[in-house]
Amino acid sequence: MAWIHGWLGLLAGWILFAMFLTGTASYFRPEITQWMQPEQPANRVSAAAAAQSAVRYLSRVGAGDEQWYIYLPDDRTAVTRVFAIPGADAKPAKRPRPPELELDPRSGEPIHARETRGGEHFYRFHFQLQLPHPWGRWLAGLCAMFMLGAIVSGVVTHKRIFADFFTLRWHKGQRSWLDAHNVSAVLALPYHAMITYTGLMTLVLMYMPWPIAANYRQPADFGKEAYGYVFDNKASGRAAPLVAVAPLIADAERRLGQHAQRVVIRFPGDAAATVAVASGGASGLNARGGTVTYSGATGRVTAADIGAGPALSTAGVMLGLHTAQFAAPALRWLLFALGLTGAAMVGTGLLLWTAARRRPNVAPFFGLRLVERLNIAAIAALPIGMASYLLANRLIPAAAAGRADAEVATMFYAWGGAALLQLARPAKRAWCELFALGALLFGAIPLVNAATTERGFFASLRAGDGLFVGFDVAMLAIAALLAAAAWSAGRERQVKTRRKVGELAHV
Amino acid sequence: MLMQRGQMPRRRVLIRPAALAMLARCITALLGGYAATAALVSLVSRLLPVSRAEATAWGMITSFLVYAVIGLWCFHEPKLVRVAALIWGVAALAGGVVWLIGARA
Repeated sequence: MAWIHGWLGLLAGWILFAMFLTGTASYFRPEITQWMQPEQPANRVSAAAAAQSAVRYLSRVGAGDEQWYIYLPDDRTAVTRVFAIPGADAKPAKRPRPPELELDPRSGEPIHARETRGGEHFYRFHFQLQLPHPWGRWLAGLCAMFMLGAIVSGVVTHKRIFADFFTLRWHKGQRSWLDAHNVSAVLALPYHAMITYTGLMTLVLMYMPWPIAANYRQPADFGKEAYGYVFDNKASGRAAPLVAVAPLIADAERRLGQHAQRVVIRFPGDAAATVAVASGGASGLNARGGTVTYSGATGRVTAADIGAGPALSTAGVMLGLHTAQFAAPALRWLLFALGLTGAAMVGTGLLLWTAARRRPNVAPFFGLRLVERLNIAAIAALPIGMASYLLANRLIPAAAAGRADAEVATMFYAWGGAALLQLARPAKRAWCELFALGALLFGAIPLVNAATTERGFFASLRAGDGLFVGFDVAMLAIAALLAAAAWSAGRERQVKTRRKVGELAHV
Repeated sequence: MLMQRGQMPRRRVLIRPAALAMLARCITALLGGYAATAALVSLVSRLLPVSRAEATAWGMITSFLVYAVIGLWCFHEPKLVRVAALIWGVAALAGGVVWLIGARA
């Protein structure tokens, strides 16, 4: 079991580290998006009013559309996000995905903020890995399965799991890495197991659709029964004005006992129009929430999916636990910290692999050098890429064309560039210098923000803008963490390693 | 011949039998394990006496745990023949039964 734990961790470790780090950042996905659009003030409009203003805009520009998706704003999200799927008789659109629009919740008009992928980029990267669909999701799923296997085999490997929890021997070379790996893994083991399993569950319909095939002749029927998706109704062809949606939102929130998060309007302006109002994970553990469907012509309830059975509720709660939209700020920060312990567990595991194989006064073999360099590229260079993404948001002109893609490209060029340039330095120096560069870049973010926007640290403090103040503090904290890592990596250290450690390090 | 077999210089082979066996084990664990998992959870969810949406969800929820345990067992069991026979056998058997029963009405 021990050797399989090592192989699972080694093969998937670099990708898992990136998934952990960007996924942990995604706990603050709406906040990062808000920070990356400093022109857009925080939302103060109710969900019902935002839905109504969005429908007013969509009715004007999107008559004859087949379907509108409206994602409602709340106190964490400043804008209303809408997707429109054009009708069948409309000119065939060449785009593979319907264009996403961001609307001002108050006016319903498109917002005038800089174009950016925002926190959505970290979120998408952490399970799609910037690869073409569906390969990124399959690779992420494979790595998550390796992680699950590594967790199970890791627990089996640990006969002394309780004692290891209380063991941390600093500055003892390989033994310290082993202890650090054990502490970060065992301390947050319930979290690691939960986040890995629920992560797999978020894409279970793609990874494991076979139970559906075994039970349903028409796979779409499962979505209908389980989640209340109704996609098979047809437009009647008779025009009928859409009822006011604001009262429907209020009614749905009363029936569900939760905040409405999503409105799907099918065949707007047709007599067969439907308005489906869904709650999500923001007001309960179950991310699936419930859905109330109304007739768009009369406003009467046509279907209500309020509660599900134990299995579907379990699946919904798993989804909710993973995305943690229910978490209030304190719990969100705790989950953020736990996510970082996940990255630490993977990172220390990777470092342990090299520490256990390095012999004094012996030139490292090829595999050891390869793993060492890949470790540097994954662990020390990724923060540089993430900081560059945030800096690019402030430094690329707000009105520049294609700036959202340029921001994303900046992250990968910075990450890739750092990963390549470190090859020119001795490994020990490379660790130290890349961490230091990361610390500098994160430390620069509050300064660049203050220089390029009106919402610098002191201005935000005066305005009582908790989000922007918190963001600056978080950036400085990350910079301090990376600086400490650089300092620790750069120190000359005389380490006495003992033979015996090799056995403990399950290698 | 004059040269004895033991004195011949050892030929470098491209892939050693042990590596081939490990490759077969990995493929069995990854692909065979997935197939066995899919077949098993499909069969259980088909036979569970609860509503089909619930049964389907139970199958999907448990699938990753089943896959992890099956995959690890493939590396725990020393005999490759036993691993391959059991994993691919379960996949074929359970998959065949699911196919024969057919979807719920």
